[in-house]
Amino acid sequence: MRPKEIVVVSGKGGTGKTTLASVLARELAGQCVLCDADVDVPDLWILTSPRVKVEEDFVGGDKATLNRPPCDDCGRCVPACRFGALSAGNGKVVLDRSRCEGCGACTLVCPRGAFSLAPAVQGRIYGSETEYGSFWHARLHPGGENSGRLVQVLRERARKTAEEQGKPWILADGPPGIACPAISALTGCSVALAVTEPSKSGLHDLKRLGELAARFRVPMAVVLNRCDLSEEGAQEIREACREKGWPLLAEIPFLRGVVEDLARARIPADIDSRTAGRILRGAESLLSR
Amino acid sequence: MQPLGEERVVIAVVSGKGGTGKTSFSASLALSRPGVAAVDADVEEPNLSLLLGDPVMATMNVGLPVPVVDAAKCTRCGTCSRTCRFGAVLSFGKAPPVFSELCHGCGACVMACPEKALCEVDRPIGFIGRGVSNGIVLVEGRLMVGMPNPVPVIERAVGLGLAEGLDTVIDSPPGAACPMVAALREAGAAILVTEPTPFGRADAEVVAQVLHDMGKPAALVVNRSGILEEDPPFDGVAGTFPVLARLRFSRAVAEGCARGIPPTELDSSWETAAKAAWDWASEAAR
Repeated sequence: MRPKEIVVVSGKGGTGKTTLASVLARELAGQCVLCDADVDVPDLWILTSPRVKVEEDFVGGDKATLNRPPCDDCGRCVPACRFGALSAGNGKVVLDRSRCEGCGACTLVCPRGAFSLAPAVQGRIYGSETEYGSFWHARLHPGGENSGRLVQVLRERARKTAEEQGKPWILADGPPGIACPAISALTGCSVALAVTEPSKSGLHDLKRLGELAARFRVPMAVVLNRCDLSEEGAQEIREACREKGWPLLAEIPFLRGVVEDLARARIPADIDSRTAGRILRGAESLLSR
Repeated sequence: MQPLGEERVVIAVVSGKGGTGKTSFSASLALSRPGVAAVDADVEEPNLSLLLGDPVMATMNVGLPVPVVDAAKCTRCGTCSRTCRFGAVLSFGKAPPVFSELCHGCGACVMACPEKALCEVDRPIGFIGRGVSNGIVLVEGRLMVGMPNPVPVIERAVGLGLAEGLDTVIDSPPGAACPMVAALREAGAAILVTEPTPFGRADAEVVAQVLHDMGKPAALVVNRSGILEEDPPFDGVAGTFPVLARLRFSRAVAEGCARGIPPTELDSSWETAAKAAWDWASEAAR
């Protein structure tokens, strides 16, 4: 049977994605494979104490190398690069590899064939074991690119592991935002679980995330975290959920105990099994619709 | 307005972890120094206007040049398809179909076509808004939902913000990947807003390495200080940055921000911290 894949997302950062993912992992212990799809600043490892079993390089897109010789600093490549990776100063052509997107435009215009393109290592992939299940995570190199591709690789690994082990669930801790890593995390997953908070920015970002999920035909449900921070804000989130047809699966108040457990790198005890179970059942019911 | 010839100060506010208070601190920086420009470079989720009074904005499109094929000139030689490294131009049928979602706008296919059968049109991927509120020029980048690449929108927003010629605050996206780097590139100094939790500290360290590699002067503002009895120290590269302020968790500030009230109106320690950050950045960028 194909495993069911829940991806925890938020739009706005810091609403409690990793916290919720950890609570769900505890609830699904032994029945799930975990995946940290927030690859530039991954945090799920902090709460799950992974023991790394396998690791490998993540090879992202191509990057250009400027070889000299044969480069004679004619400068024809500089205007050809649309990403600002090439500049000329003091009669020298300079390549900033951090800006290179590997498009190869420079190779087309260089009369001396001075550029070569090769895949570049952009991060590291880890396959680990935790007390909740196998865990795929990664670390994109600081400032790295192709995070969307890395998310895709991690999700493929997690799916393969879940199928091999016969686990019914995959639980992915997603990235914030709505661009390439978020799109990669959402595409083809079973259900998006959006964690939000009762603020104007929480609402604004939730709506954009909902639009994204709809575009990629992923059913979305909502968990309202720190629901008692603003009654007015909470009411606005509830109304938005009703209007858009997003099931609001749980409202979690601001709990001092949660803050303290997280500060000590522990999965919060105060978000209990009943809450986690209700969220999972809600997500599951969305799948059969 | 900055007198001619005097160096202006450009601060990027970064965090790694989301939700540590980047936007709240960016708003505090802007509000504590009238006559500045504030750039919302968190184009996936732009929220700065919510704290700066939601001014009326004049908007313009940001486009990415994507190829279109003149079927009459195309000989279906397949050069464009072999040239494109992103799989955005395929060669079959009458003329090569273009998958503009995959296109990076590099123009390589146009350069490579021997028949000059390709030209480019701008495909909108986002918007820039500009408005003035409380003497602050707000320039907001906004990625269209469904577009994968925020970087061109970030670069345009920062470029237009800097073109105002004022001291500038750049509210950066979370994370530590290419969008954050794009927001940071033109800044003279960076303020890393973080929190003393394991998440905050781990993510701050990733960002600190980027700042170090880019040679940006950087300082820490520790938000939600005092979660534990004593804030654990920052180690690694982040541990070498000066700590400009420790802001204690305040329910009033959190509630205010939720409703769109900037923290400087509720807690004087935010204004003090913001002024300290301007002073530090003016020195550091020199």
